[in-house]
Amino acid sequence: MSVKDKTIQEKTIELTKLVGWFDGDDFKLEAALDKFKEAEDLAADIEKDLLSLKNEIQIVKQKFDSDN
Amino acid sequence: MEKSQNQPIFSVSDFIAVFNQTLEYAYPNVEIEGEVSSFKVNQGKFIFFDIKDKGGSVGCFMTVWQMRVPIEDGMKIIVSAVPKLTQWGKFSLTVKSVWPSGEGAIKKSFELLKLKLETEGLFAPERKRQLPVIPEHIAVISSTQAAGYADFIKILGDRWGGIKVDVAHVQVQGEAAPDQIIRAINYFNQQELLPEVIVIIRGGGSADDLSAFNDEPLVRAIAGSRIPTLVGVGHEIDESLADLAADVRASTPSNAAQILVPDRAEIIRAVNTQVKSLLPRVLQAINQQKQAIDVTLSAVLETIEMAIDEKIRQLKSLKNVLVQLNPKTVLARGYALIRGDIKVGAMIEIETSNVIIGAEVKNVSKR
Repeated sequence: MSVKDKTIQEKTIELTKLVGWFDGDDFKLEAALDKFKEAEDLAADIEKDLLSLKNEIQIVKQKFDSDN
Repeated sequence: MEKSQNQPIFSVSDFIAVFNQTLEYAYPNVEIEGEVSSFKVNQGKFIFFDIKDKGGSVGCFMTVWQMRVPIEDGMKIIVSAVPKLTQWGKFSLTVKSVWPSGEGAIKKSFELLKLKLETEGLFAPERKRQLPVIPEHIAVISSTQAAGYADFIKILGDRWGGIKVDVAHVQVQGEAAPDQIIRAINYFNQQELLPEVIVIIRGGGSADDLSAFNDEPLVRAIAGSRIPTLVGVGHEIDESLADLAADVRASTPSNAAQILVPDRAEIIRAVNTQVKSLLPRVLQAINQQKQAIDVTLSAVLETIEMAIDEKIRQLKSLKNVLVQLNPKTVLARGYALIRGDIKVGAMIEIETSNVIIGAEVKNVSKR
């Protein structure tokens, strides 16, 4: 699944995992820069997604002033 | 006594019917304010009471299921009723609806119904369901012209997006409001694709304006909804029975939006802070690595220095040996160096530390 197809929640989970890598036993200084760039890109993507979301408001046609 | 001309003679039943027809024509519906007395319920179905003031009293009749708010003797109420002469000649009001009048009566009615529903367990904490963390489909029941609705929609849009919001436009005050809201609740509960939450909102108002949300059937409909409910009615200080029956209570319509969805601005801030916090971690790792290298380097340097010191010490020792072996050192201690053939009559050279002596060998003997 490409980054573009992922939901905000999936991207947030991925970012959390990336951040966790920096605190974990797998941390390697040689890989840190790439991982940091990856985290930065994900954060920018999440921000863009969040700001572009609009609510879809629909007034239902049903009338409620009588039982009909 | 003679019959008056043009005066009809009624049977009793006809008179009652004509009288009621006249009454219905003149007063199809009346609203009367007064105090309740002699309140009683017969067979669990029929309610009888009098409504009175200082100048008079009128009997009232209604059915239990028409009674949407509890009343008791001494309460000030308003009845909406049809005046009627019964077949026994007693004048009575057939009550269609009744509601408390004045702050004291509204409060009393509220407390009575609250106690009743509380006893039934409608407000019990264990009945409360959690709302989804981030809903994708919600239903809103409100008046689309109300300020509270506008506040809710604005704050909802400011905080989050991507939500399908189905709105049922209903009256949120007045006699018709409870039934309209109940119909809207039922409508959403009957949808094939159920919304994840029903949000019922209304802005602030007087106790009378908000009394629709203390209507017993409405409170029961909220408690009975299979879709979790979020109710935000009035201001922070207002408490309605609809609030108590809801799964989640919001203090205002704006607060309902705040409860329903997270704030995207806060999430963006948190995400950026999370990423920014990585840099110090990387710097810390670099420093730790640097410290480890420094420690290793120091140890290597120390080993090299120790080896050099050892070599210097060895050199010094050799130098001392060499100094001791230097002939000049021996001569300085008083010894002499003899050169030439060691045989009798031969000329030899004797070197001391400060002179060189020429000499002849006089004799040579073995030790």
